[in-house]
Amino acid sequence: MLKVPLSVDERWNLIEKISKQTVEFGARKHTLKDAIAELTVKPLTGIPVAIAVLYGFWSFFIDFAGTLFTDGFMVRLFDEHWLPWLQSVFPGGLGNPFYALLVDAGHMENGVLVASDNCLESFGVLTSGFFVPFGVVLWAVLAFYLMFALLEDVGYLPRLAVLVDTVLHKIGLHGYAIVPTFLALGCNVPGVTATRPLETRKQRFMMITLLSVFVPCGAQIGIMQDLVPELMGWIFLTLVIGYLGFGFILNKIVAGKSPEIIMDVPPYRMPMLKNIVSKLWIRTSRFLLVAVPFVLLGCLIVGLMYLTGAMDWLATVLGPFLMSWFGVPGETVAPLIAGFLRKDLAVGMLGGLMEQGIMTTFQVFTSVVLLCIYFPCLATFALMLKEENWKEFLGSIASLIAMVLVYGGLIHLVGIMLGVA
Amino acid sequence: MGHPNVGKSVFFNRLTGAKVLESNYPGTTVDFTKGWMRFGGEDVELIDVPGAFSLEPKDRAEEVAVKILEENRDSVVICVLDASKVERGLYLALEIIERGYPVVVALNMWDVAEDKNIRIDAEKLERILGVPVVPTIAISGEGFKELVSKIKEAAPVKIEKIIENAGGVESAAVSG
Amino acid sequence: MNELEEKFGQIYFAVLGAVGLAFGAAELIASAGEGFTWGILDSSGAADPTFLPWRAIILLSAGFFYLSSVKDFAEIHQLAKAVLGSIMIWIVAGMAIWSRIASSIPGEETWFNSLEGFLASYAPPYCPEMFLLPFSLVIVYYILKEKEAER
Repeated sequence: MLKVPLSVDERWNLIEKISKQTVEFGARKHTLKDAIAELTVKPLTGIPVAIAVLYGFWSFFIDFAGTLFTDGFMVRLFDEHWLPWLQSVFPGGLGNPFYALLVDAGHMENGVLVASDNCLESFGVLTSGFFVPFGVVLWAVLAFYLMFALLEDVGYLPRLAVLVDTVLHKIGLHGYAIVPTFLALGCNVPGVTATRPLETRKQRFMMITLLSVFVPCGAQIGIMQDLVPELMGWIFLTLVIGYLGFGFILNKIVAGKSPEIIMDVPPYRMPMLKNIVSKLWIRTSRFLLVAVPFVLLGCLIVGLMYLTGAMDWLATVLGPFLMSWFGVPGETVAPLIAGFLRKDLAVGMLGGLMEQGIMTTFQVFTSVVLLCIYFPCLATFALMLKEENWKEFLGSIASLIAMVLVYGGLIHLVGIMLGVA
Repeated sequence: MGHPNVGKSVFFNRLTGAKVLESNYPGTTVDFTKGWMRFGGEDVELIDVPGAFSLEPKDRAEEVAVKILEENRDSVVICVLDASKVERGLYLALEIIERGYPVVVALNMWDVAEDKNIRIDAEKLERILGVPVVPTIAISGEGFKELVSKIKEAAPVKIEKIIENAGGVESAAVSG
Repeated sequence: MNELEEKFGQIYFAVLGAVGLAFGAAELIASAGEGFTWGILDSSGAADPTFLPWRAIILLSAGFFYLSSVKDFAEIHQLAKAVLGSIMIWIVAGMAIWSRIASSIPGEETWFNSLEGFLASYAPPYCPEMFLLPFSLVIVYYILKEKEAER
């Protein structure tokens, strides 16, 4: 008599018996779809296809978010209508703390406080606080998730995973890592959640740490593309090098194993409009729910810190360190503080500083990269707390600090050597 | 329950009208979602769980799946199988049956199996397993009505009965 | 597909592949220095210089895909190469068109573009990808033929 539960062997034996009686495998002929599927995972043909797909992704993103919505309509709406209107009807006026907090903090020009002429300089809750999420980021996120949903539903993503598998193996990760990484490019929060199918704690720890440090989210990418389009190539290159480099180091020093992950490559499918629309809606509304309150809160906190003089104090205290180690001016303290809450707001604030002309191109580049890597946003941070145990969490934070100091310093060093810093 | 990327979330959305992310790659669902569906005049709770290869969890997503199964001892389990990879799916289905859950088997991705020239005798499979077996195509919704109507017929089956129907099984003890 | 269709496909995609290679090479040269404009064909990539080298790579690959599909064209693994070549051209050409659409809607000074401004956005010259687009569509016929045969 058999014992229940069955052993693994017995179960397979039983399945074999059952399937012999019920399943019939007909002659298998390759279809065109199979042939295409094969070509897209072979490196020789797969890599050019991947380049084309990523090019399409990025082009669509830029033209949809940048050209059409942000530059086409939103900048005009906010800078030429919303800001002047608020400046004219809001009680208080320049210099009034309440007005500064909500509408326009203004800035010093030759010792005179002058009004801002765009929604990035103004730093107000109602101006910058609305322009960042609705003027720039919403469109970027929408464009990103639209393309992403398309890639997901067609079934291309796992194939990309197979293609990059060899490269990622060298840093102890697997092709599957491309899925959380790609997701994190939309928002780090779902990216971190998507590390759950990774088998060992080591893999998850590495993945979460690398994601939260080196992968900028869609909101951030959108606003970076808006402010410094000419630097995007360099920024991404720097981040990719950091991702792979620190992945390699982490793999060497973190104890544990990185076993093989067997991932099924699903068949290509025709995407369905209904599913794409519903996904777009779920993800975008989730984003708005998380992002908007934090952006407004961030604006408020930074505004208050300026008003109370705390920001100037911090800039004086931290300025020398920031300048000597990273080569960025003390004024970047404000964006760095905002960045604890939201990265997109932080980059937007950097844009305000840029327009005042107090930074060199290289300093802009360094501070944008620093903003990407120095700390995950609050939402991601909270999720890391939940997903990791306290030891791993402390490990993540420690490696995060180490990476920022080392990598930030390294970028400065390279800048000095190239003579651009 | 079922393997990763067999269409569990598509089932869930179809049956409950909820909106859970569906994608064409494994590992989309990593947490569970609860929803309600109308069934025979009353509201029944349905849970969408992450994909699992077996009931011995290997990663966080599988842990979630197994935990939900254990927390809901008296529920009916809809086992979603990839019809083009029946054998792998049956392993999980048998595990669940052994644990005494009433099961309905959905042979999903029936169209993919047909493309691959795999033919499954669903009726015979149903006779052997002793639980309802329904071919489905979740994306287009084929077979859903039948599946829902058969949930009532789901009852716990003794594994010995299945072994008997299948014509016995070589015991592992004999082979060593 | 029958013999005639296969013969035609071979010649057609050999030529298209060669043209694709030529266009890709032209873009690659343009991205390194001077681009050339020939009538309504503009290979200088003036519309979007940042990604010109990438587009050149994609066009070159598409050209290679076409050319390597020619031998034993009716065999599906070979046909699949031509299909992928076309898909790559659809992506780059589609994005070139999308880029024009995106910049044609908002106006310079007004919310929306004037009708003249809108239409002017679609005036020539066109980039090489857009020239290849209509010719690459021929593959659809072969895809449909193959689908029919699979049934």
